[in-house]
Amino acid sequence: MLLGSVVLPGCGGSGGAREQVIVSGSTTLLPIAEVSAEMFGEENPTVSVLVSGMGSSAGIENVASGSSDIGTSSRELKDEEAALGLTDTVVAYDAIAVIVNPSNPVRDLTIEQVRAIFAGEITNWSEVGGPDLDIGVVNRDEASGTREAFKKIIMGDTRFYKGAVVLPGTGQVRAVVADVEGAIGYISLGFVTDEVAAVAIDDVMPSEEAVVNGSYTIQRTLHFFTREEVSTATQAYIDFVLSDEVQETIVREAGFIPITAKQDGSD
Amino acid sequence: MTNKQEHGGSGLAQETGELKMMSRATYFREALLRNIFMLCAIVAVAAVALIFVFVGVRGWPVVDDPGIVAFLTGTEWSSTYGEFGILPLVSGTLVVTLGALLLGAPLAIGTAVFLSEIASPRMRSIVRPAVEMLAGVPSVVFGFFGLVIIRPVVADLTGSMGFGPLTAALILAVMIVPTIATLTEDALRSVAPGIRHASYAMGATTWQTIYKVLIPAAKIGIIDATILGMGRAIGETMAVVMVAGNAPQFFSGLGEPVATLTSQIVIDMSYASGTHRTALFGLAVILFLISMGLVGLVRSLARLERRS
Amino acid sequence: MSKWANRVAVTLLWICGLLTVGALAAVIVYVFIRGVGQLNLDFILSAPRGVNAEGGIGPTIVATIYVTGLAMLIVTPIAVLAAVYLAEYAVQGKLVTVIRFAADTLSSVPSIVMGLFGFAFFVEAMDLGFSVLSGALALSFLMLPIVMRTTEEAIRAVPRYIRWGSYGLGASKWQTVSKIVLPSAMPRILTGLILAMGRAVGETAVVIFTMGQAINLPISPLDSGRSMTVHLYTLAMEGINMDAAYGTALLLMIMVLLFNLSARWLARRKGRFEE
Repeated sequence: MLLGSVVLPGCGGSGGAREQVIVSGSTTLLPIAEVSAEMFGEENPTVSVLVSGMGSSAGIENVASGSSDIGTSSRELKDEEAALGLTDTVVAYDAIAVIVNPSNPVRDLTIEQVRAIFAGEITNWSEVGGPDLDIGVVNRDEASGTREAFKKIIMGDTRFYKGAVVLPGTGQVRAVVADVEGAIGYISLGFVTDEVAAVAIDDVMPSEEAVVNGSYTIQRTLHFFTREEVSTATQAYIDFVLSDEVQETIVREAGFIPITAKQDGSD
Repeated sequence: MTNKQEHGGSGLAQETGELKMMSRATYFREALLRNIFMLCAIVAVAAVALIFVFVGVRGWPVVDDPGIVAFLTGTEWSSTYGEFGILPLVSGTLVVTLGALLLGAPLAIGTAVFLSEIASPRMRSIVRPAVEMLAGVPSVVFGFFGLVIIRPVVADLTGSMGFGPLTAALILAVMIVPTIATLTEDALRSVAPGIRHASYAMGATTWQTIYKVLIPAAKIGIIDATILGMGRAIGETMAVVMVAGNAPQFFSGLGEPVATLTSQIVIDMSYASGTHRTALFGLAVILFLISMGLVGLVRSLARLERRS
Repeated sequence: MSKWANRVAVTLLWICGLLTVGALAAVIVYVFIRGVGQLNLDFILSAPRGVNAEGGIGPTIVATIYVTGLAMLIVTPIAVLAAVYLAEYAVQGKLVTVIRFAADTLSSVPSIVMGLFGFAFFVEAMDLGFSVLSGALALSFLMLPIVMRTTEEAIRAVPRYIRWGSYGLGASKWQTVSKIVLPSAMPRILTGLILAMGRAVGETAVVIFTMGQAINLPISPLDSGRSMTVHLYTLAMEGINMDAAYGTALLLMIMVLLFNLSARWLARRKGRFEE
């Protein structure tokens, strides 16, 4: 949908001795990246961190090709991308919440039911214990890391319903699900507000504890990808994001789960 | 021809030695300037050629992979599975454009007729600027308006989520009204006033004059206007992305999502690579050819009119 | 019978006219109502900050003005001189036909195709990267046929007898054009330029693929930036801060309306030699 970062020519950057760190990628990661970039910029006035977000895939491609310094991603590397030689830094955990309209009484689904709904096999809420209402499936665009993660965990090899509405933004998904009675979608837990209702998956509601102890299945890690060699400014920014200060405040405020919460960090 | 006439003075100057020098210098300077200006005009041609070449070259690999037939006749567009058939997108463009024309052309032509035949000067001073300003509203603003106002209304009407051909056609219709209306008004205005007088003198009502005399007389101009409006609708991107639903499938209901040639490019471009990206450039080539074809159509129609 | 049909038809036509005005009014009023609350000095001058892009849209305003201004700077000399050629020097023939066909084609190229071209050519092939310069160059391609057309019309509107007077006094073609015709056509030419600027300000698809999307205050032409239109699109699609979206839409509309109104005001002023 939208192209990201800047290809900086050697000279001709903005005036002054300000170093630049170009960060691009996942829209899910935008709140964390942007706010910490601001804070980092206040503490380090000689560095300016430029953040943009239009999809994890774009972020990964940009950092691999050198257009950006950090590629943010809300999904793992695909098989084809593993050979790019990127360094992976986990910066937070996240749960993907399946959301429905608040007027919809259905609050609990099994993974099989979710898969069937998003594959277009189940088309009416009455088939899963709800009212006689057509299901409106809302999907994310293919650039979205959230979609990738959802596909990997829930869909597997089953194809998404072709007639689903494709929206290129978390807020859009939320707004539509909040507005249309029969709608269903999926967004990062951090973006869930009162306008929508999160659904329990196999009796487990998405929450920090459920992610940490592993009982909520639809969870994922959020990554900063970098090339092997990074500039000092880039490394300083990454360390800043990993620091307790940022993790406990910004990450939590954005609705994600800090890396400090989990005992072992890998997923 | 014209130049030599302009330089009629130098003919006389041949006789006077002094003036001859000046004339030649002037002549060369004039020739130089003329060529510079000509080069500037040729920039337009170079630009078109450049666009065609660059977009074409980037899209050419589509002929091998997935193959020109698969590309042009494929019924599935799904990058995750490596399928790049354009038919769903073409159908999306067709449905949305047709809808926009069905809704927008009558409104535009009606407005133009209103402006040209019925409106008082005071009304005209309100409506005509309105049409011009409508032309200046950025497409994202229209898309935005469609997203927040039209979509919920269509959702209620069709019982769906409201993203689809109906919403897109409604917004596009409003967007092409200025294009069609201004050109139609020009066409109506260029019909000789004597024809109107004659019609009224014979006792025809306003409507009869419009319907039986003026519109047939301005027929070619109106068709031109509609074709250009169609071109605008086909090429519109941002407004469509925001309201069409972006699902590359064939028409399945007024409130069911579709995707167009233009919207698919914007949605996919940020992350497309390899075959996917060349396929997108392939879409661009198709769009370019369509718009060039429409221009050719309008120009041939204009030539037909000049002959008759 | 025909009287009745006439009355129905005229009413319908009135409805058409009013609907068109109504559509414009609806868009303007709605954007105004939802957006006017956002407009304060802070919104206009400061940059977006925070998780939800609170703060202002200052850098986007700068980016929009910068890229539009640069584009007009690039395109005006070429387009005006090309129009001079077509109106004053050219002889009907194959070359002129080709030029006109090219200009028509150029003006009907969908902006997304222009955006992709700009990406392939300026951003990648010429290695200018996402920058104000790439955006301005791509925009100038878009503006060229428009300015060519309006300038040519402006030049042709200058009455013939003015030129004859000048040649009769022994002036050369260029002297006539530069000292008499162009100044006389100037208000109309400027009107065309201002309208083209209004169009450029509203462009999205071209700018997204050439100037980029990072929120950045562009200083050198090689810096990237996010235009107001791109910002509005991003905000609307993310759907998180709709207030800022309305504010952006309103500012954008105000800018475009200003261009439109100044063009109309200018068109009313008479050039030299018009009575």
